[in-house]
Formats: sequence, structure tokens, C-alpha cells
Amino acid sequence: MELTVNGAPRATASSPVTPLLTVLREEFNITGAKPGCEQGGCGACTVLVDGEPRRSCLLAIGMIGDAEITTVEGLGTPQELAPIQATFNDRYAAQCGYCTSGMLMAGQALLNRSESPVTRDQVLEALSGHVCRCTGYVKIVDAVIAASVGEFDNAETDERLTPQDNEPEVQIRGSAA
Amino acid sequence: MKAVGARLPRYDGIGHVTGRTMYVDDVKAPGLLQAKALRSPHHHASIVRLDTSKAEKLRGVRAVITHKDVPRNVVGLLEPQGVPADEPQLASDVVRYRGQPVAAVAAEDVETAMEALNLIDVEYEERPALFDIRLAFEPDAPQPHEWGTVYPHFGSHNHRRVRKGDIAWAFERADVIVSGVYRPQAIEHVPMETQASLAVPEPDGRLTIYSCTQAMYFSLSIVATHLQLPMNRIKLIGGTVGGGFGGKVDSASETIASLLALKSQRPVKWRWTREEEFLVSSTRAAWHIELSDAVTSDGWILGRRMTTLHDSGAYARMSPYGLTKHAFHHTGAYTIPNLKFDGFVVFTNRVPTTAMRGFGVTSVSMATETHMTRTAEILGLDPWEIRLKNANRIGDTTGNLVVMQDPSTVPVTLAAADRVGLELASEYREMTSDRRTADLLPDHLVAQQAPEGAHVLSRESTVDGGGR
Repeated sequence: MELTVNGAPRATASSPVTPLLTVLREEFNITGAKPGCEQGGCGACTVLVDGEPRRSCLLAIGMIGDAEITTVEGLGTPQELAPIQATFNDRYAAQCGYCTSGMLMAGQALLNRSESPVTRDQVLEALSGHVCRCTGYVKIVDAVIAASVGEFDNAETDERLTPQDNEPEVQIRGSAA
Repeated sequence: MKAVGARLPRYDGIGHVTGRTMYVDDVKAPGLLQAKALRSPHHHASIVRLDTSKAEKLRGVRAVITHKDVPRNVVGLLEPQGVPADEPQLASDVVRYRGQPVAAVAAEDVETAMEALNLIDVEYEERPALFDIRLAFEPDAPQPHEWGTVYPHFGSHNHRRVRKGDIAWAFERADVIVSGVYRPQAIEHVPMETQASLAVPEPDGRLTIYSCTQAMYFSLSIVATHLQLPMNRIKLIGGTVGGGFGGKVDSASETIASLLALKSQRPVKWRWTREEEFLVSSTRAAWHIELSDAVTSDGWILGRRMTTLHDSGAYARMSPYGLTKHAFHHTGAYTIPNLKFDGFVVFTNRVPTTAMRGFGVTSVSMATETHMTRTAEILGLDPWEIRLKNANRIGDTTGNLVVMQDPSTVPVTLAAADRVGLELASEYREMTSDRRTADLLPDHLVAQQAPEGAHVLSRESTVDGGGR
């Protein structure tokens, strides 16, 4: 059987009832979608199938046919982030990161089908089946809205970061009591 | 000081938003085996027979382990801190909670490992189980632990004690005594990533472990102790945690994955299911807190009596430490001159409990802050004012003998009032953390000052119980 993942054809030897999540992670080594609950309850495994967000842990590959599968790896790269990835990063919408892929895919699906800007209610509806146990929901919702209008604020952030420069401007002297 | 006040990007942010961050389950190793654990179906039972021979013969099974395979089976998470070892990695003669691991299997795939579990023959003899910490002191209570129903190693005591001032005087002198019982429940951490470890036996005899642990060096020590290996034979790779919240400090999966890897000489991954995470992984403790405050009608707290029962579950793990923190925070952000605190770590046949976000302290804060507000209501006082009145000030001494050097209760409370637009009376609005002066002290507190005027607000204080 053949699946189309992030624009590339991939052959699988798994049986048609195998969950897409298992095939992606174990067979294709595409690990962005995460096994959170493996029973459709948490959203961490969400991928797009022909643009629609689907729980890959519950989706048998035999049901997919020649539909296009998009995972988080198909959104953008570290060098060239998709808008929603950039706003998630700028706005601290990822904490432990384990739910992030699913949030991004559900958010992207909303952006794909909506006029900009999206409303807060639309985002809440789109992400309602997704659990973030770090409970960073406000920043996640803000990031999806920001992505819908292209509000990036990473320029200032990057300016002030000097990861190679470890020399402190102020030397701390003395010691704690 | 480039970082203070700057918006710094997260060092792991790009990895998270591109799906590139490598969690334990994303790691691949050639020849990887999958692990599953046989868990106790009983809350409390003796193990009469344990036979793994059929499972070992199943095609695709590469290793089966029981307690006999653990070089040092019984280890305590806080042994170096004085808490004696009590918990076996794999149960030998008794299981003390439902879900406790009894044996583990590594096989070519998950299905084979599950099938092998069904072939392990265990005979149990059920024992009575204790679930309610309030019943722990009944003479005929079931005994969940080899030490009984209560952790006995707080120095010469079987509980953590704090004594300060003259508690009898405070309750005689009080205008009103406000009592309450507070019972915060157990909470599962529910990290999005379940417990997971991947152990790789290296050709040179060393062991590489990928772990979701929140505490790398802690886990290194625990695994090395179980395996009786020097730490330089183990390389622990971690630091990427898919949510922990305290629930990943117990080193729950590393040792079993390692034992299976060493026995099979193949890489072994053990990732818990969501069901295991809910039913078997540690939780925050349930607590039972009885609290009485001796107060004056104008809102000064003269004394506090408190008894706490901390549900440790079936083993001690870090509960003695959590209870100690609880004890040290039982006056909250306030100075109370006379104290009598008794805290018990109680064993039950529930899953062992552990750290969660403010270990031991969130429970006591919930109780004491709720109690402060209730006291204000009963006295007909403003809940903000009763807090500011009793707030810690420079020079005050806590129940565990810490002299306050820079307490923040007053400025933080005032800032909070300001943020919510609350108009406080000027005598409260002008309060600071400065040392108490006579005009801030009612007579009974002046009388309790140390002779040199050191403002310690206590005649004496003792904290009993060594170790943790």
C-alpha cells in the first residue's frame, strides 16, 4: 500500500487496520505526531488528511486511500518556519512541546479554511479536543490568532539573544549569605 | 545582565514547533525490543507462587525478569537523606498496591510481550487492604507496610513535630477558637508523555539509558544502586520531558528497561500506556488536615494546633520529605507565636504518592489560606486585613527557627490589593515588612518578645525528628 506523506509517496507493509500514527512513527520514522493517549482523547497525534485534522492514533491506514497526509514536519523547517510555527515560537505557546504538533495541525487546519483574522471563539472550537497539560492554553490561542494576521514579533527577540556571547555584562561579585 | 527583562526565545522552541525535539519514544535503536510489566491485580496480597518458565519459552521473548534478577531489589528514593529503603523494584513476597510490577518481559514486539505476560503464573493470597488514612490508627487497621500504618523514622518519633511557644496559654487566652478539617484529594499528574525509558547495552559493557526523568542525576543514582553498577558505567540521556509536574522524579521506568536490556543484550524500550499512567503511576498525595486557631476578636492569631495525615500510598518514596516541607510551611506567610504541629506519613494500599507542583506545600496552603478567610468571616473582619496584621515581618521567627530576613507577605499582599483595585484602610495600606514595633504589637505579643527585644515572638521552639 502507498501513502502520500508531506508530498512524498511512501510504501508501507503494514496491514490496513494499522493506525496511521504507528505507521508514521515506527515505519516511516516521522515522529512529530505524538502518542499521548492512543484512544483519540488528547489530540497530540493530530495530522491533516486532505487538510482536515484527524486523530492518527484512531485512523486505520486502509481508510486513507490516496489522500494527502500532512504532519508537523510538512509545515515548515527550522530555517523556514510556517507562520503558525513562528508565532507559536515567538509567543511561548510551546512549553514541554508534547502537545504542540497536534495544536499546530489543528490550528493550521483552521487557518486553511477560515478568513483572516480568526476569532478567539473559532480557535477555541478548533482546539477544543486538544489537551495541554502544561495548561498553556492562552498563549496557544493567542499564537493561532497572531498567525492568522501575520503578527510576528521575533525580530526584537532575536536581536536581544546572543547565544554565542556568554560574557556577562555585569560581573557578580561576592557570594550569597 | 542581558537576560533580565529581555524576551528570550526558548532554547527548545524551534524544536518543539517543528516536531524535531526528540523525546524518549522518538529514539530508535537497532534491534529494539519492547517491554511490558506484569502488574499486581490485587491491592494487597502475598505472592505464593511465581513461575515465568512458560513465558520464557514463548517465541519472540528475549528476556523475562523477576525480583531475582535485580542485583539490589529494595531501594529508597531518599536513602542518602536518611529515609530507609523499603520499595522493591519487582515485588518478591508481597504486593502492596494494585499495579505494582511483579515481573517484566522484553519481546520482539508489544503483542508478543503482552502474550508472554499471560503465560506468567502467579498465585496470590489476598490480604486486607487499607485505603482511608483516617482509619490508620484503629487497632485492627490492615497493615499496608512492613513498618505498619505510619512511617516511623522521624528521628525518635513516628511523626514530624513542631513545637513553639506555649500552645496551652494561647488556647486559654483566645477569644475565639476556629477549627476546620481540610482534605485535598490525590491528583494524577497526567503528563502528555507517559513514563518511558529506552536502555541500550553498549558493546563495551556500558549502558546508555534514554529517560523522560525530571531528575537526571537522581535517576542515575537510583538505577546504579538497583543495578549495583558504578555510575561511570551508565550514560543517562534525558532532559527532554513531555510534561512531568513532579510525577517524573520517581525513576519509574529506567531500572526495569535496563535490567531487560542487560539480560537480553538488546536495546529495550518501556513506554507506559495511558491506562498505566492513570492507574499505576504515582499521584499527588491525598491529605487529611485538622486545624485549630486560637484568635483574638480583633484578628490576631495567638496559636495554631494542626494534625496532618499524608497519604504516602504503599511505600515511603519521598513522602517524609514532602511532609517535612508541609510542616515547615504550616503557618503559611504569617507569624504565629505558639504552635503545635503533628504530621504523620500514613501508608495505604494505594499507588505510592510523590511530588507534584509545590510538594507538600500546596496542600497546607489550601488549608491555611481557606482557614484564614473563614476566621475573618467568623470574626467579621476583612480577610485582607487579618492577613496583613499577622503577616511575617523582618526579625520574626518561623516554626522551624528561621529568622525572617526579607519576608514578602506585606508588599505582595498590598500589591495584590492594588491590582484588584481594593481600597484598604490607611493603617493597613502603610504597613511594611519592617520589624514589629510596640504599636504594631498587641499586649500578648509584646509579652512574648525575647528579653533582648529581638522580636523573635517566641519563648522557645523545637523541631523534632532527624532524617527526613
